[in-house]
Amino acid sequence: MEQDSNIWTEKYRPKKFEEVVGQDDIIRKVTNLTKSLNIPHMLFAGPAGTGKSTLALIIVKELYGVHWKENCLELNASDERGIDIVRQKVKDFARTKALGSVPFKVIFLDEADALTREAQQALRRTMENFTGTCRFILSCNYSSKIIDPIQSRCVVFRFKMLEKKDIEKRIRIIAEKEGLQIDQKTMETLYEDSEGDCRRVINLLQAASSISPTISGELINTLISAAKPGDIKIVLEYALSGDFLKSKEKLLEVMLKESVSGTDIIKSIQKEIWNLQIDNELKVKLTEKTGEIEFRMVEGSDEFIQLQALLASFVMAGRGI
Amino acid sequence: MTENQLPLIEKYRVKDLKDIKGQDLAIQDIKTFFKTYPKKKAIILNGPAGSGKTTVTIAFAREFNLELFELNASDLRNKAKLEEILKPATLQSSLFKKGKLILMDEADGITGSDRGGVTELIGLIEKTQFPIIITANDIWQQKFSLLRQKCQLVNLKELKDSTILEILKDIVIKECRTIKQETLLTIAKKSKGDVRSALNDLQAALIVGEENFVSELHEREKEESIFNVLKIIFQSQTNSKIISAYDSTNMELDEIMLWVEENIPKEYSGKALFKAFESLSKADVFKGRIYRQQYWRFLVYQNFFLSAGISSATRLKSNRFTQYARPSRILKIWMSNQKNAKKKSVLEKYAQETHISKKKAQQYSFILPLILKDKSIQEKLEFDEKEQDYIQEKAGTIIIANNLNKFRQD
Repeated sequence: MEQDSNIWTEKYRPKKFEEVVGQDDIIRKVTNLTKSLNIPHMLFAGPAGTGKSTLALIIVKELYGVHWKENCLELNASDERGIDIVRQKVKDFARTKALGSVPFKVIFLDEADALTREAQQALRRTMENFTGTCRFILSCNYSSKIIDPIQSRCVVFRFKMLEKKDIEKRIRIIAEKEGLQIDQKTMETLYEDSEGDCRRVINLLQAASSISPTISGELINTLISAAKPGDIKIVLEYALSGDFLKSKEKLLEVMLKESVSGTDIIKSIQKEIWNLQIDNELKVKLTEKTGEIEFRMVEGSDEFIQLQALLASFVMAGRGI
Repeated sequence: MTENQLPLIEKYRVKDLKDIKGQDLAIQDIKTFFKTYPKKKAIILNGPAGSGKTTVTIAFAREFNLELFELNASDLRNKAKLEEILKPATLQSSLFKKGKLILMDEADGITGSDRGGVTELIGLIEKTQFPIIITANDIWQQKFSLLRQKCQLVNLKELKDSTILEILKDIVIKECRTIKQETLLTIAKKSKGDVRSALNDLQAALIVGEENFVSELHEREKEESIFNVLKIIFQSQTNSKIISAYDSTNMELDEIMLWVEENIPKEYSGKALFKAFESLSKADVFKGRIYRQQYWRFLVYQNFFLSAGISSATRLKSNRFTQYARPSRILKIWMSNQKNAKKKSVLEKYAQETHISKKKAQQYSFILPLILKDKSIQEKLEFDEKEQDYIQEKAGTIIIANNLNKFRQD
């Protein structure tokens, strides 16, 4: 018997179709397909933390029972280096026949929208070659990023963003099992922050519970603010005060400490500009410059050089030049 | 200290005049000085470092059986010491019935804080009953004009590469070692006529091994050449030759970029800093296009922005000495990656367990340590001791940085 995980996103991951919240229509259809023991290729599209992986896992567990691990290949497109590796893994997996009564195996390819168009073309051929022995379940955030030939080979299911009542339902179940005190207001704080992402809510909840079983709104807010690269503000303030070197050092520190990418940094710079205590006209100028630098980042080779160029414009702006 | 542990420069210091190489003219002049003494009571040996001034002096003391007394700048103030030295030899302990030779080494050292030092030296020359040898690297400074009049002046030239090579070969044979002719030639050339530096390099080569020594030497050469180029880029007026400034280094353009990046803030500020980074940013854009499209003609533009672009960021050029720094960023990234190895393995195990990508797991690293510090989770995910320590440490940091303990109910 498999030992239960104490990571709550796993411990409280729905194990049966009826436990999944907020996607009633999809659940009904998928339940019937699974019962018929003959599923088509499927594409699950929708925001993060709405149940795509959960549903895929329920499907394979329903199909194969305790043997699900032998019959399902889980791949994550954003972790696999290149389509060639994906193809090789699929090939090796599909070579042997499925165990048990179901005549096919299942390949779950998560974050399929991380594949380039060329890689998706290659994937399409792979899907065709192995249709006899394998069924694919693809998941993505945006179906528009998946090429049409793949979409047309799949039954597409669009996952809805979870509503407040759905999220609250999950929180209540967890709070009861884990003995947590949580008031309505905190519940709302969690929902507001999550933007319908159940994984984020549960992770925040577990992190908070490691501090105290009484989950206050203030505790949640403190954890949330720890996520934002607050140091970016310091980076920009150094630059505006004219201290380029300190600004640059701080930037490098932020990037290395949490291995944040340059793209993430420039996103938070762009957001942070509006909160700075500077003239509105200057904010517009700096935002324009930020956009230009973000563009050059895409074209160029070295994000850190581009970010330094941006800091140099902040230094200038700070001096009123 | 045994003979073997002596620095080569001491171990092989030439003892006899006839063995001194490459300074025949100077030696003739010094001989004349001793023959005509006390027509002039002091002689100045002027020459670059490592040309053999001290060696020549020691050899002469030996040749004429004189006892050598060495003085330095601060001794000129020490009356007791001076009197001791100036006492006639006949009044001294009978053990040494020798004459004396006084050596004032590195007279250039008499500067600033030793104001009046030169006057005292001249006073000494007037009083002395013994020949004085004064060594200096640059005796032509104004403050030495009076001193020059009191002394005979002999110039020692820097040694030729071929002479140094000869000396090096001799020593290698005496040390019973083998070193490639090529390496010896490199050392000789690099010394620029300075025997001391050549012997120090030889010693380094013998100790660290020839290969290591040569590669390190190249690194140093490379750095020296990039320093010179950076000086041209940052400090000369922009001219038509600037775009070929980097041709004189054998460093790749990409590495040069890191050097420029590191040192822009050392030379420019304000608007010039901004313009310089604009150019660097554009150079990088072209570099990116070269990589992606394999269109190598863009190299022209990368080079242009990196040279003319950076140089023309300002017309106000400074001429001060700037200590350029080695690019530090790459090293920092490397060190940080070493540190992040544990983080990566933790994230990987977590990502696999929870069916998400490493990238997504990364998004939760601001709270993950709080979740993962649970013992049963650590067992399930099979974290090793190092990983456990890492999680513990990170969790502690998060708790302290966000003052989370105030939420605890005790």
